[in-house]
Amino acid sequence: MSDEETDGLELTRRELGAAAAGIAGASGLGFLGYRRLTGEETADEDGEGPMNPLEEYPNEEWDQKYRDVWEPDDSYMLTCTPNDTHNCYLEATIKNGQITRLGPSMNYGEATDLDGNQASQRWDPRVCNKGLAMVERFYNERRVKAPMIRQGFKQWVDDGFPRDSDGSMPEEYAQRGEDDFVEVDHEVAHEYAARTFLELADQYSGESGMQSLLDQGYDERVVEETQGAGVRTMKFRGGMPLLGVIKLFGQYRNANSMALLDNHVRDVSEDEALGAMGLDNYSFHTDLPPGHTMVTGQQTVDFDLASIEYADHIVLDGINYLTSKMADCHWLTEAKLKGSKVTGIFTDYNATASKCDELITVRPASDTALFLGAARVLIEEELYDEEYVRQFTDLPLLVRMDDNELLRASDLSADYEPADLEKTDAVADDADRPGVDVTNIDDQVITEELRREWGDFVVHNAESGEFEPVTRDDIGDDFDVPATIEGEFEIELADGETVEVRTVFDLIKEHLVGTWDLESTAEVTGTDPQAIENLARDFADNQQSTMLLTGMGPNHYANADQHGRAVFLLASLTRNVGYQTGNVGSYSGNYRMAYFNGVGQYANEDPFDVELDPEEPARTEKRWDAHSAHFYTNLDKPLKVDGEYFQGDSHMHTPTKSIWVSGSNSILGNAKGTYKIIEKALRTGKIEAFFTNEWWWSMTCEYSDIVFPADSWAEHHVHDITASVTNPFITTMPETEIDRIYNTLNDTQHYKGVAEKLAELTGDSRFEDYWAFIDEEEYQAKPYIQRIFDHSNAVKGYDVENLLEDAREGTPAIIMTRTYPKHVGNEQTQDSQPWYTKTGRLEFFREEEEFAEAGEHIPLHREPMDATPYEPNVIVDDSDSPVVAPETPDDRGWDSQEKARDTNDRQVRNVVKSPSELTDTSHPLTDLDEGYDYVYMTPKYRHGTHTFGADLEEMAVWWSNYGDQGRKTERDTFDTRKPYIGEGYVEMNPKDAREEDLQDGDYVWVDADPSDRPFPGYDPDDEETEYTRAMMRIRYQPSIPRGVTRSWMNVTQTSHKSYEAQQEREDGKAQSEDTNYVSMYRSGGHQSMTSTWLRRTWLTDSMPRKDMLGQNMDVGFEPDVHAANGAPKESFVKIEKAEDGGVNEEGEPEGNWRPVDEGVRPTQENDRMKQYLEGGFTSESD
Amino acid sequence: MDYPYTEARPEKQWGAVFDLNKCIACQTCSLSCKTTWTNNEGQEHMFWNNVETKPYGSYPLQWDVEILDRLGVQEWGSDGVYEGKTIFEARDFDWESMAIDDDPETMHSEGIEGFRPDDEDWAQPNLGEDEPTGQEVESDTHIDEDHHPTWFFYLPRVCNHCTFAACAGGCPVQAIYKRQEDGIVLLDEDSCQSFQECVRACPYGKSIYNSVAQNSQKCVGCYPKVEQGLVPQCFENCLGKIRMHGWVNTPENADTSAPVDYMVHDAEVALPLYPQLGLEPNVYYIPPINVPTDYLEQMFGPRVEQAQETYRKARRGDEEYRKLRGALHLMGSTEWRIEEFEVTDEEAIGYDQDGHTVARVPMEEPTYERDRFDNQHDAYRLDIA
Repeated sequence: MSDEETDGLELTRRELGAAAAGIAGASGLGFLGYRRLTGEETADEDGEGPMNPLEEYPNEEWDQKYRDVWEPDDSYMLTCTPNDTHNCYLEATIKNGQITRLGPSMNYGEATDLDGNQASQRWDPRVCNKGLAMVERFYNERRVKAPMIRQGFKQWVDDGFPRDSDGSMPEEYAQRGEDDFVEVDHEVAHEYAARTFLELADQYSGESGMQSLLDQGYDERVVEETQGAGVRTMKFRGGMPLLGVIKLFGQYRNANSMALLDNHVRDVSEDEALGAMGLDNYSFHTDLPPGHTMVTGQQTVDFDLASIEYADHIVLDGINYLTSKMADCHWLTEAKLKGSKVTGIFTDYNATASKCDELITVRPASDTALFLGAARVLIEEELYDEEYVRQFTDLPLLVRMDDNELLRASDLSADYEPADLEKTDAVADDADRPGVDVTNIDDQVITEELRREWGDFVVHNAESGEFEPVTRDDIGDDFDVPATIEGEFEIELADGETVEVRTVFDLIKEHLVGTWDLESTAEVTGTDPQAIENLARDFADNQQSTMLLTGMGPNHYANADQHGRAVFLLASLTRNVGYQTGNVGSYSGNYRMAYFNGVGQYANEDPFDVELDPEEPARTEKRWDAHSAHFYTNLDKPLKVDGEYFQGDSHMHTPTKSIWVSGSNSILGNAKGTYKIIEKALRTGKIEAFFTNEWWWSMTCEYSDIVFPADSWAEHHVHDITASVTNPFITTMPETEIDRIYNTLNDTQHYKGVAEKLAELTGDSRFEDYWAFIDEEEYQAKPYIQRIFDHSNAVKGYDVENLLEDAREGTPAIIMTRTYPKHVGNEQTQDSQPWYTKTGRLEFFREEEEFAEAGEHIPLHREPMDATPYEPNVIVDDSDSPVVAPETPDDRGWDSQEKARDTNDRQVRNVVKSPSELTDTSHPLTDLDEGYDYVYMTPKYRHGTHTFGADLEEMAVWWSNYGDQGRKTERDTFDTRKPYIGEGYVEMNPKDAREEDLQDGDYVWVDADPSDRPFPGYDPDDEETEYTRAMMRIRYQPSIPRGVTRSWMNVTQTSHKSYEAQQEREDGKAQSEDTNYVSMYRSGGHQSMTSTWLRRTWLTDSMPRKDMLGQNMDVGFEPDVHAANGAPKESFVKIEKAEDGGVNEEGEPEGNWRPVDEGVRPTQENDRMKQYLEGGFTSESD
Repeated sequence: MDYPYTEARPEKQWGAVFDLNKCIACQTCSLSCKTTWTNNEGQEHMFWNNVETKPYGSYPLQWDVEILDRLGVQEWGSDGVYEGKTIFEARDFDWESMAIDDDPETMHSEGIEGFRPDDEDWAQPNLGEDEPTGQEVESDTHIDEDHHPTWFFYLPRVCNHCTFAACAGGCPVQAIYKRQEDGIVLLDEDSCQSFQECVRACPYGKSIYNSVAQNSQKCVGCYPKVEQGLVPQCFENCLGKIRMHGWVNTPENADTSAPVDYMVHDAEVALPLYPQLGLEPNVYYIPPINVPTDYLEQMFGPRVEQAQETYRKARRGDEEYRKLRGALHLMGSTEWRIEEFEVTDEEAIGYDQDGHTVARVPMEEPTYERDRFDNQHDAYRLDIA
């Protein structure tokens, strides 16, 4: 049938083009002509001609196949709660009793609050790649399928806890990582745990216990902190507990209950009994932006990400929004569509950069200098908002130049009486403070002692020329003094002395003008001066209309506190703090437990007086205390240099003899300095018991003593709740509609199980009563949840049963904070409420002695602790400012260079250099001339939430260039060296790589400071520990400037067993034979190069701050608010070739990685690829 | 222009608009498809939906470089008229020389320019992710131009359910067909005889061989959902909310009260992928506004610049483009297919085929402010509690 070609219907090729050009009359793009057009004559009239599959098909019935795949038997809603702040209801589709797939609930648009306000459908869908891949996880062989006890640990217990002469656990029982695991019944696992707690409480209590700890080499101040109570060596942690208040924050209830054990073991009275220790989360992860606390006195300022569309200018500062805030990306792209300008400040051209209108590249961790440089422009050119500065900041307050402290009203008048405050309640003493769970107070609460100590402050009235007192009440609309913003004065004090005083603004201006001119800022940040100027002008032009979002980028550096302070300075100068349309936000982790400030009803219930009536509130008695987990990763050593403690008493920790964590791979398997903890604390027996609740066998499980199998997120038999810092929803977790997949329990059932055993061992039934509402039938934790609701400001009024009913439909509730969407700062800007600082204002001057000593009274730039080509941790100032006057090595008689080289001592080394002096220095490792030339960073990426999801087959293959589908099946594995279906890599600028003789795709070694990484004492010749050294692929990444390298922190690291598997398995996969743990590196991992860092100014006893929960303010340590905060992503490394990227036919390393030879790789494209990149396959004719 | 069969258009044609300015490469679409349809043995490498970073990403490896190279440099007239050859013409095949039936002896697909990727080309679905081209990134790189001198963008890809599907045109046993009711192109897995000619013929690399099942398989357009008035999985799960599913009509039959036709034919902001290949693909892309046009024109044709300008005008708030802003806000907000929509000053509303409202989205999310003290519940509604 080829004879109709010539009929008149044949169209010319030009039809296509005409359509493409949209020319009227054309028949649409690709409405192509057709050569074999046969019109109606195509088919024979009798239908016997050849079939045209564009118009008919005889066998359509085959398609029932996919209808059968699609049609579910049933479905239900589950709650996906990784630590990414999104918390999505996912609809699980069930077939034959199994979940076959997951999808969005599509019901967020139905969410309402107690007043009937409703969210819109713009919130749907809420889902992501990791969430959908989770279906693979529920049924995977890597589930923790039953209780597992490590052989050596079991033996230790069975042998009756034998100890070395110093009282420590013998190393032979501590072969963690190598020992086999023994599967036991739940009851047996619970009993082993209970017996261990009893043993530890006993062993480390009293004089003998403390002596034993000293004998084992613990610092005496650290030992003293136990107060002689063995339970104080026992650490509990629920990983980012807002993600499951019942199951995760339940670990702190667990810690509280240990007061019963202390009461039993030490025979102290019930009143004196101490609970165990809880470990921090937000601050341990370095997610806390400490500068926020320094400026605002509370945890963090942020806003729901949906708010960004209200701003005309959106600044994304080191937040790879596209990869870490997936569910809320559409708010960004839709804001952009409506005209908001998006400025990105990044260290590379990343995913998010591709959506920005303006891009500023900075050297890693130099954003602080960038903001200071922009602030200098605003100040010098007087582009700032004077009214806001006067009303809401401490910038007009006067500072005494004789002692570098804020001038007090009482300094000026001997009989000055602090005013009665209306917005602050000063109680007689700590005992009179309200509980954290009282919802009908809004006054900030301090003690009279603090009130007296803090006093009132002084401004200069520009009109009257008088000096006027300012109280914490005098903020916002309640402050109308025309205060002088810039100026210095001589002032006579009450005692007759005359002192010089200057405004905070004046001091900051001096530093900025003297240090941060455009050229100097450009020099330190490595930025185009024009970009700095543009940034300043965009802030000036968009007052109360700029949203500045900071991500983990700048936050995960040891100097992030200064970054936060600089951010607030820039934003405050332009009225961009505290408004729905203009604000700052820090986005790392999901942390604001204070949404449920009634959580004390649960975690702090008095264990000696348990309330068993489900309708009644609990009586609370907090017996547990907290310290930062940083000290555990610092091998329980305090920040101490030359015998001096640089760590406040309130931050002092205790020795770590046991840890029990839930859902927390960050505590070990993906902790900064993983191998230090493993080699120096776990495999030495210093830590005697490590218990983990998990549903997925993580690297933390690999080194645990007991792994308690937890229900997955598909299996809720006990209810729970969560909320989010990036969206306005309260998410309650409905019950599962599938049977348990493996022999697992809810986390709380494990707490209860151990408690039951402790009740048996001690004869105290209150252990068991403490978990009375944990069951699968009657209560399912609902009374605990309702108690929390009833005592939390933001959720009071909600009924757990109603919320569960909506949750079953995939509809959350809207949280009842002040606004929808929520944002921090509304109370200050709209209601003139004070911030949680001494002055009630945004504070840019820190007068406390720790800040004086560090030279950090005002916002300034400090170099990174390690990740800099220059001298680390240097303060940059060129103004001779009287308030940038730290205690220097000279002052202390230290050898300055020696202290710079020492990674411990460097942390308290204060040296001031000008911008040009700084850039003349070099990193002490570079000076060794061994190849240490690269800043190395380990940020997060889109194919994993931390390690969650990254190591699933369906996710691992997406890790950029080194995925290998063939690795799944072994049908066609192309490179058997690959540890898994995807693998970890380090990215490098191609020019740098070539200089190091590295070809794209090669395997390389990455080494950081050899003095303490992968762990102190690492010996490259010791085969036993070679598994700790990082080996990975190198990727030519043209998006990164020279001198900077990067690995994503999400992929799983090498364990003893995964390392052994690679050597011994026939397929060469790094998958442990017994536990099924998978490593995505051949050895070591990205945390081989990282470490914990500590700084003086995070560890003060004097800095005011709000408690984590409630309206109480105090000073010094508060977990997740003012605490050690230094497990950053930063490092400085050398990179050396290990193997060729390609393999020969024998599978031996040889030649190039295939895509290099294919000519498709950046900077080494073949001719046709070059032509393609230029768009050279089409040409335009005349 | 050639095609093995006579033009025949279905009653309705499955179509889509993807806004590349909103795509974030999260691969949620890929996972939604994978976990729904291709999670069996033999399908490991099979992503009916994938997202690749352009220009260094391609799955299967080099699919577009290869086919463009095979076609060679082709001319596109300055008047927008394509003057080059399509894959049905590049081989100068005499289509009249054989009767096309289901007899594999004729192997008419040899008239179609194409290639079969190597096994290794299917190994790495995300090669080139987030790798830019253009100007080198340096420590002081500062970009404030409309077109980024350093750039990449994300290209999500599904089967285009082409009007002139090469897979169907190339199948030697006529086992690939277009459904009349919705234009979805299906590969009858029962009748497939594993010649893999569809794999070779589809220039988009979207027909894929399953060596375990021993047949080829391809995207099914989620017909079990589409039949129920629902959007396909990769649309419903699209987290970036970049996708709109609907019927696409010829220009003269365009129904611009429906969002897909509106964006394709009225706003003319969405363009087909490699139209010069000659298949009339039915997924239309809104090109990324930050990417230089030389490359984009090679990919989407000469109307790229105009489409970018239209999008920029919408951004600037031009009243003329309020409807476009509305359509783009409506995207992804419902699991139902929107067949008609309207845009008011404040919101965009989508209706299904029966006129029921299935999506109602405010152009700006409403804000609510609560009383500081909630008398009823005796609680201060604090932000910092």
